[in-house]
Amino acid sequence: MMRSTTAEGLAEAIRSGERTAVETVEAAFARIDEIDGAVGAFLELWRDEAAERAAGIDRRRDEGQPLGPLAGVPTALKDNMSLAGHELNCGSRILAGYRAPYTAGAVERLLAADAVPVGRVNMDEFAMGSSCENSALAVTRNPWNLDMAPGGSSGGSAAAVAAAETPLALGSDTGGSIRQPAAFCGVVGVKPTYGRVSRYGLVAFASSLDQIGPLARNVRDAALALGAIAGPDPRDATCSDAPVDDYLKTIEDGIEGMRIGTIREVRTSALEGDAARGFERALAALERRGAELVEVSVPLIEAAVATYYVLANSEASANLARFDGSRYGHRAAQARSLGEMYAGSRSEGFGPEVKRRIILGTFALSSGYYDAYYGRAARIAGALRRQFAEAFGAADLLVTPTCPGSAFELGERVDDPLAMYLSDVFTTPTSLAGIPGVSVPCGLDGRGLPLGLQILAPPFADAAALRAARALERETGFECRPEAVR
Amino acid sequence: MSLAVEEVRRIAELARLRISAREEATFASQLSDIVDYIDQLRAFDDGAVSPEDADAAVDAADNDLPRPTGAGDRPLLDRFLDNAPASLDRFLLVPQVKAAQGADE
Repeated sequence: MMRSTTAEGLAEAIRSGERTAVETVEAAFARIDEIDGAVGAFLELWRDEAAERAAGIDRRRDEGQPLGPLAGVPTALKDNMSLAGHELNCGSRILAGYRAPYTAGAVERLLAADAVPVGRVNMDEFAMGSSCENSALAVTRNPWNLDMAPGGSSGGSAAAVAAAETPLALGSDTGGSIRQPAAFCGVVGVKPTYGRVSRYGLVAFASSLDQIGPLARNVRDAALALGAIAGPDPRDATCSDAPVDDYLKTIEDGIEGMRIGTIREVRTSALEGDAARGFERALAALERRGAELVEVSVPLIEAAVATYYVLANSEASANLARFDGSRYGHRAAQARSLGEMYAGSRSEGFGPEVKRRIILGTFALSSGYYDAYYGRAARIAGALRRQFAEAFGAADLLVTPTCPGSAFELGERVDDPLAMYLSDVFTTPTSLAGIPGVSVPCGLDGRGLPLGLQILAPPFADAAALRAARALERETGFECRPEAVR
Repeated sequence: MSLAVEEVRRIAELARLRISAREEATFASQLSDIVDYIDQLRAFDDGAVSPEDADAAVDAADNDLPRPTGAGDRPLLDRFLDNAPASLDRFLLVPQVKAAQGADE
């Protein structure tokens, strides 16, 4: 059942009484029980609470009360967003035993839309990684080929959706952490405009970049979920009060006459395997739907990965200072002083990638290096933002491949952090510019692994990116049916 | 530029991290590669990039919302304290700040 239905269809069937929320949630758990031993997306299941919530939704329907847009839709939450009373580990040992004292703003909205959270899913520790392999808690596999990485850091979210365990998941994206795993797993992933979705209750990684967004098996479901979680929240000062568009209202309007820009500095010659051919095929598909292809220049896109790793890790080194054993999580035993407790707790609790990034960020902010690293990166990020704004004068939307290639093997890049970072080459520019990016599957490569197209729009034009993604989806007819988890 | 093992050790101390000798060596080599890669930014930081650009990067959302100030929420405070490894009444308990002789430094 879960493989053939959409979130939109399920919610509609539950609202009309054609099916119940209880049986829908049961079907999701049955699919998880059947397949998650192989995929490894979930860290914890909330069976009782989900069943109770579903029963409440069915009861309200029987009483004639209106139900929300995601009525009864089983949804997976990334392990870095708070649901009051539930454990939250952020993929790290340092948060072992931590229970969220309150519910995240985006999750509150999800609940208000009558979605049913069924559990929390795996991620790279503190969202630092591009393969989910930096999780201290579990190994997650790509449903298209179980030897491959699902991508990261929202690897659990993407794998759960691709394996049809849940029709929807929430992820978070700082430099590509929704879009890259979505591309690797053949699902749709949306990094909304910075400020579109509240981060209240999301464990902070790099606050000037972090955004929560949905992953789904088709564009309409992603749009439906974004509409449910977007909107103002005074508890996140960066959250915008701009009105939220009705993303489904314009989604079938097509792209006839739209100017869609490719970026000169995105060199298809540098793409791996047949990713270049996949990109060309996607461009041709957009053209067949009536888009006018134009070429624009965003020269600083080539500086984005380096800029991103300076800014994100500088912010992370400050944000992660709070994990020191005094307020929550792991505390080193037998520390004789406060300093010993801090260093001991952090050294025992954090994994190697988190330590590496904290050291890099501390270096970039340290006396003597601040201006050469942090200062320079901040200037370049601002200039990149300006270049994107200029590019959007000549094009309504921009497109790039989501990643330089399809999924890589588990273990292939764990000892080479720089090679891992470079898989974010097309996703980090979008994050630095604060603009929305949608990754939509555009076909399979020669190895039978999905490729993603990234569609970028000006700030708060998320609806336009979704509309183009829907047009591409209709043209390619792509369906997420991974062989490895039939 | 390459990062010496001593440099990595000094930064780790600043970041309140204790790392083993083996980690120091691995991190020094990996971080040197990463810092080398980052050093390419010098070539981009030219006439096209101005000091004012830094402000544009910071102000990502131009309509920030003010956060309302409200009265304290005691049940919420209690739930926070439930997560504390050690607490007493409304306070977090930690080892003494002024270290026993020779313990901290």
